[in-house]
Amino acid sequence: MKIFSGSSNIPLSEKVAEALHTKLASIETMIFPDGERRVKLNESVIDEDTIVIQSTNTPVDQNYIELFFIIDALKRSGAKSVTAVIPYLGYQRQDHVFRDGEVVSLEVMIRLLESLGVDSVIAFDLHSIKIPELFHVPVTHLSALPLFVHRIKSKAFNALVSDNPKEFLKDTILVSPDMGGLRRIEQMSELLDSLPWIATVKDRDLRTGDITIKQFEGPLNPADLPGKRALIVDDMISSGNTMIQAAQLLKDNGVVSCDVFATHAIFSEEAAELLQDSSIDRVYVTDTVLVPEEKYFPKLHILSVVETIVKELQK
Amino acid sequence: MSNAKSISDTLDKDDFILLTGRANPELANSVGRILKTEVSCPISVFSDGEIRVRIKPNLRRRIVYIIQPTSAPVNDYIMELALMADAARRASASEIIAVMPYFGYGRQDRKEMSRVPISAAAVSSLLVNAGVDRILTIDIHSEQMEGSISRPWDNLYGSYSLIPLLKKRKLQHLVVAAPDKNGMLRATGYAKLLEAEGVALVYKERDVTLNNVSNTMGMIGEVKGKDVLLVDDMIDTAGTIVHAANFIKQKGARSVRVAGTHGLFSGDALKKISESEIEEMVITDTIRPREEVAKNKKITIVSVAPLLAEAVRRIRTGESISKSLIL
Repeated sequence: MKIFSGSSNIPLSEKVAEALHTKLASIETMIFPDGERRVKLNESVIDEDTIVIQSTNTPVDQNYIELFFIIDALKRSGAKSVTAVIPYLGYQRQDHVFRDGEVVSLEVMIRLLESLGVDSVIAFDLHSIKIPELFHVPVTHLSALPLFVHRIKSKAFNALVSDNPKEFLKDTILVSPDMGGLRRIEQMSELLDSLPWIATVKDRDLRTGDITIKQFEGPLNPADLPGKRALIVDDMISSGNTMIQAAQLLKDNGVVSCDVFATHAIFSEEAAELLQDSSIDRVYVTDTVLVPEEKYFPKLHILSVVETIVKELQK
Repeated sequence: MSNAKSISDTLDKDDFILLTGRANPELANSVGRILKTEVSCPISVFSDGEIRVRIKPNLRRRIVYIIQPTSAPVNDYIMELALMADAARRASASEIIAVMPYFGYGRQDRKEMSRVPISAAAVSSLLVNAGVDRILTIDIHSEQMEGSISRPWDNLYGSYSLIPLLKKRKLQHLVVAAPDKNGMLRATGYAKLLEAEGVALVYKERDVTLNNVSNTMGMIGEVKGKDVLLVDDMIDTAGTIVHAANFIKQKGARSVRVAGTHGLFSGDALKKISESEIEEMVITDTIRPREEVAKNKKITIVSVAPLLAEAVRRIRTGESISKSLIL
């Protein structure tokens, strides 16, 4: 087995290789003066099972095309199989036609990956449970939720958020920032001794993309919110706007602390500054997307999905 | 060539549509003006940089031409093109034609070393997989690329647009020169069209044993006292063409001009050109000229819009593309 890394998240790829007691296979990317890139594999892959690790976050098109070229090079060089580990699968929010005449960008990316000959795909916390159905090759849909549960149950986390660690879960509720995350929040509740949950209702203006969050939905009565500690769980943080508005609504309704758990740290535009200045107390993300150092902020905690990937690759 | 009026008159405007991405909307709009039809740009961008395509006009049973040179930022422009093709396919277009005046990654057309992708072939096949039925290019770097997909691929030449302007220059004792060994075919073609006196070839000579200079120039052909026209398919960093032009001037040419189809002008290309012996550089607008390119005093830009408009018309009506469009 040989592991190649695209350029979007090399630290994660290196940790995966290290955990598997190996080194990343050598690959070089040359950038021409006009911005075109050429990848070159520096090791033979004939009859090898190969892994390529590449998240397709921003710059999404560059990261996808690089992944396409690496897969093309692996296939043309005689690799026996190519498994694409795509911790964050770009274009996943464009997974169906929202309005007439629209493209289904994710379906195009999947078709392109498959046409190049990818044999299987490993991805984390996809936006919709239906996404694996769009693939014709096997997809392993991994989740960071167990990582989050492990952290939430840890003594260290309980000491951070509660004066009375033993009573912590008693005062705690789970929050889904929109009704689309119901399955996720129910899973999370199950993993946390059936914690009660509530969802905030997100209204999105399809034309402008602006969102507003003003009310609650779900089994928990908003009247019971005062004094509770909220754990907001979602698949990703993009502009941060959803999380920030949800947290503000919770605090306005008497919640004493808000911790956010989201797998993918997209952090577009001013997300880092906005999250730091918001009423959110702590933000937990994973390393599916590499957060550049200039986007670090004091409230941010990054957990690693390395063990989860390694366990899957060892199967 | 038909004039603009007759081109637009022979078309039923309801059965085809022109789309453009963000790569060169000016060129697309020029084609639209000639064909007297609107051009729509269905691209918008999300805050995280992901592209969104939404085509508003009805495409059902219409031929869709997507005009998009895949110049820098090449990956974004390829993806826009692929996504527009997908949207057009979903909207029941009868035929989807990728009009790519410049084909990015065209130089990565073979396995020049072990274990590299054939990036140009990966791009053409990904476009077909996204829904493209036919590709139309101008001066693709290597014409063998046409074999990388099992669909029609028409390649046109910038000479159709460049020759009339070059003829106006009334160059005396014209010699057409190639800046490297691969450009000889193009140079002889231009020489024939311009009724030149002769052709010349500048080549690099690697002679490490004689001195430490890795590249010395050599030339075949006579340029002394001649007006020389160097021709190439693209001007990228302009290193090769500037070296060749200065060398030709040094060999006694009266003037040196350059004609090229694609103006990339990467790195400090414009500076090199300004400081060179090149009197005039004529290029086309296959790649949208940046402001500093358009303003550069040595550079003349001629539009390929009439060529593309005529090709669009002929594909639509089923006329021959090669007849009088390919010079």
